[in-house]
Amino acid sequence: MADAFSSWHPLATAYDLPHRHIFHGQLLGRELAVWRADDNFINVWENRCLHRGVRLSIGTNDGAELTCRYHGWRYANRSAGCTYIPAHPADAPARTICNRTFPAVERYGLIWSGENPDGQPPMVELLETGSPFLLRNLPVNASADVVLEALRDHSFQPQGRLEGQGADMTVAIVGDYGLALTSTDGQASTSAVFFVQPVAADRSVIRCVLAETPPQSEQLKVWRHHADALGKLVNRAEATFATLPAPAPLVATIEEVPIDLSVMPEMATDRRAALRVEVSRKWTTAEGIAAFELTSIGEPLPTFQPGAHIDLHLPNGLVRQYSLTNGPGETAYYRIGVKLDPDSAGGSRALHESVRERDVLAISEPRNNFPLRRDALRTLLIGGGIGVTPMLAMAQALHVMNLNFELHYFAQSNAHLAFEEIRNTLGNSVKVHLGLSPEQTRAEIEAAVAEFDYANQLYVCGPGPMLEATRELAAAAGWPDETVHFEYFKNTNEIDDSSQFDVALARSAVTLPVPSGSSILEVLRANGVAMPSSCEQGACGTCTVPVIDGDIDHQDVYLNQTERAAGDKIMTCVSRATSTRLVLDI
Amino acid sequence: MITLYDYELSANCYKQRLMMSLLDVAYESTPIDFFPGLEHKGDDFKKINPMGHIPVIDDAGYVLWDAHAILVYLAAKFDPSGRWYPTSDPELLGETASWMLFAEGTTNTASAARLHVNLGYDFDIEACRTGAHHLFRLLDEHLWFREREGKDWVCSSDHPTIADIAIFPDVVLSEEGGVSRLDYPALRRWTDRVKALPGFIVMPGIFPLGTS
Amino acid sequence: MTHPSGGYVIATVHNPCTDSVILDHWHPLVPVADVSLGEVRTTTLLGVQVSYTSDGAERVRVWRSRDTTEQPLPTRVDYLYLWVSLGSPPDSIFEIPEFSEPDRRNVHAGTIGVHVSAPRAVENFLDMGHFPYVHTDVLGAEPHTEVAEYDVHIDPETNEIWATDCVFYQPRAATTSTEGQMSDYLYRVPHPFCVILYKTSPLHDERMDVIGLFCRSVGPDHIEAHMFLSLLDPDNSEPIIRKFQQSIFGQDKPILENQYPKLLPLDPRAETPIRADKVAIAYRRWLSDLGVTYGVIPERAA
Repeated sequence: MADAFSSWHPLATAYDLPHRHIFHGQLLGRELAVWRADDNFINVWENRCLHRGVRLSIGTNDGAELTCRYHGWRYANRSAGCTYIPAHPADAPARTICNRTFPAVERYGLIWSGENPDGQPPMVELLETGSPFLLRNLPVNASADVVLEALRDHSFQPQGRLEGQGADMTVAIVGDYGLALTSTDGQASTSAVFFVQPVAADRSVIRCVLAETPPQSEQLKVWRHHADALGKLVNRAEATFATLPAPAPLVATIEEVPIDLSVMPEMATDRRAALRVEVSRKWTTAEGIAAFELTSIGEPLPTFQPGAHIDLHLPNGLVRQYSLTNGPGETAYYRIGVKLDPDSAGGSRALHESVRERDVLAISEPRNNFPLRRDALRTLLIGGGIGVTPMLAMAQALHVMNLNFELHYFAQSNAHLAFEEIRNTLGNSVKVHLGLSPEQTRAEIEAAVAEFDYANQLYVCGPGPMLEATRELAAAAGWPDETVHFEYFKNTNEIDDSSQFDVALARSAVTLPVPSGSSILEVLRANGVAMPSSCEQGACGTCTVPVIDGDIDHQDVYLNQTERAAGDKIMTCVSRATSTRLVLDI
Repeated sequence: MITLYDYELSANCYKQRLMMSLLDVAYESTPIDFFPGLEHKGDDFKKINPMGHIPVIDDAGYVLWDAHAILVYLAAKFDPSGRWYPTSDPELLGETASWMLFAEGTTNTASAARLHVNLGYDFDIEACRTGAHHLFRLLDEHLWFREREGKDWVCSSDHPTIADIAIFPDVVLSEEGGVSRLDYPALRRWTDRVKALPGFIVMPGIFPLGTS
Repeated sequence: MTHPSGGYVIATVHNPCTDSVILDHWHPLVPVADVSLGEVRTTTLLGVQVSYTSDGAERVRVWRSRDTTEQPLPTRVDYLYLWVSLGSPPDSIFEIPEFSEPDRRNVHAGTIGVHVSAPRAVENFLDMGHFPYVHTDVLGAEPHTEVAEYDVHIDPETNEIWATDCVFYQPRAATTSTEGQMSDYLYRVPHPFCVILYKTSPLHDERMDVIGLFCRSVGPDHIEAHMFLSLLDPDNSEPIIRKFQQSIFGQDKPILENQYPKLLPLDPRAETPIRADKVAIAYRRWLSDLGVTYGVIPERAA
């Protein structure tokens, strides 16, 4: 028998994966959580939450994500990446927290997987040319080899002669774990393929497919006939197995978690890895706004969280940031919206005019510097123009979890409203405000933020003046600084890089001079410190570094007043020092 | 109002709480210190139920014990649709009675195994577990065929009956007694369907279906 | 249903424990109330069958069931339980000074068997993040899921773990409150298999209720968990107090029994911690430092 660990095995049947169910499976001693997402993707995961080892099969499947029963960690369809850790609602989980996944192929109505399977599941001529019909699976308290041996002597009656007995049986081998049996009685003949799933050293499941689907009126009789015949086979196999010495148990090995996940989380490291994606769809979603669906051409796309953005490397060499608009579990592609900027340096113009469907683009992994808390009693989302894009991702996440939110969407006119298909899924939580003057916009925002209450959170993204107004009005209405979250498109402050100072790196005990005209980020990189960055204009928060000592000259638009006053982090791409020396915790 | 002499961790008491919740019947729970107090064995409680076991209900002076008998009473009295205990359909009523007997089997095997593990009851644990697996295998096959007929419940009706409620807790709590349901996927799907009934409630050891 | 025999008969056979660190500890065998005069009962501790009885007032005897000479094992009675050691135990047991305060009610809330290792049960008891998910609407409720930063230290004198300044949103902190409130907690691990929680008493600002989980390891992955309470609650009856505690533990039980592996892995690469798990990480390291091997998967040799 070939190595069971490199073979494909059926571990479930299509009817085992109904809507929003989590199937509890086992293969070669390893337990698996198997679930079908609403987009029909079949997930085969190790049945174990990475956090504290609780079985995921007792969790919930919301059609997009699987939630662990113990601490509510959410794992995305397809990638199995963790998207939310409720104990730390203000943090974006490290993207690399990912459950162990196994391949899944649906063939002949069976779900096939394996520990480390070679090639593809077996192709069975009989089933390829026939019209496969699934019988009931039978669990057997016996090893797979004992069941396979017993199956050689199995007999059943062909369709049309179910009441007869003594049909002629012929047996053919199908791979290492299957047998095709043909029953012939006079003119009647029926073929069935039996696959034996090695569940554990001492347990198996017989999965059986008839080559031809009987007429509807006969089906119940056929199922009964085979259930009875197989029931006898099961009894025989179990009786035989009971006389044999007990086999050594199959103990599944649990993979170690990566070293960076085995310690309590610290600051992010460099994230340069660029992904290649194909523009699988491009369309105009509103006046002046092009929408793009980007599909991976290699590995599955990494997990994202609401609020995340990607860097898009354009054919003309420019790098631009775009927020993902995807909802939870929508992991087959990334969807972004791009507004044509008349003053474009070539970024939005290139995307609008030159990039076409099927083009390949380089993007960064998603980064989330705008994480969404999901422990609010009410979440207020305010999006202006193209600033609605991260708000749409957030709104969908809150909507799926039945959390209370309002999305205020400010746009020039009806024609300027983007992503109607997403907004339509959000019920009546979306409030649209069209064609307002700056004064009218201010009044609407003032009304929206009028009532601050316990456990309320506010997220805003849009043009600079609108953000300023929202922050000011929210502060006046009593929203504490830490409840107001914002993301600027760009930093319109004039950056003053004339100062000179030293940065001391506390962990590596080196001091580097920062001359005027150079940023801290540039100096660090020139000295071999791998630093993540994205917008490089003080808007996105990617290049943040903790500060231990020294006075910071904040020039970014990412930090709020409280964070600025605390003086314990700096955006290294634009901010500088007013003291002669800054001590950085890197 | 009905008084239920109740113990939170008892599967048989939960059957009554679940039934009354599904029927939207108001009741008052009187907790009995079943464990470790053994209050149900005490003289005071034996004045209520001389058999010395729970659950017991007192419906305005009418006192009834035995978990499955109480289900019959509650459904017959409080279900105006007549579906939960289908007295007007003799065939379905017969089926219901038959599966209520099956529930005695799951109580005496799966739930007995749980009492052994949780509270140290002196039962032959291996016999309880073997018996539970035997019944679960039969029920899994039965429910699989029900699904093929487009039916969701233990009886052939297109709605649940008290038989579903009598069997459900013994099944869904079985892992506490060391009886895994991994080999019974149709049984697991059926427990999902029971959990989706309007008015469904949980007890410690049972998770809700989960909506988010 | 058959009446419980009174004994805790466990059919599963476990190999006797060989971990000398654990053998030398005191272990909570049974509630003292279950030791009956003249009647010999049998149970399992660390894979060893032991028999116990009482020969008269305060005279409790425990011996290895297979030992025909009935050589007595070291015993002591503390905090409502009979403690036994299979090795050479220390002269004292961890202190719970509250136990002897005159206005306290010390209650044994029940003993529940769980198919899990003692350290997994202790770690779950130290965890706040699961309150909204496992003890929904009682100890926590979505969306109030945040575990705020708290402090952990090891008392150098007693070598006990303390987690201090723990707060968590509790939905039913008071009957008059509709919004719930933040509750204060202190956690303490004085023994590898015992853990204590201190919670501000609703009736006294300055004093705390004490809730203990004392595990008897039947085998490495099987416990009998004794629930101990020392409360400043003059009103509620014992059945009500017990009901609450049993319900809470009854909710934890299916989680514990669905944890894999059942032994607590001490290697940092085995599971993924977050900041909320600070005390759990301290507990795992502390067990490693003590050299405990029973009920755990030890760290790989470096």
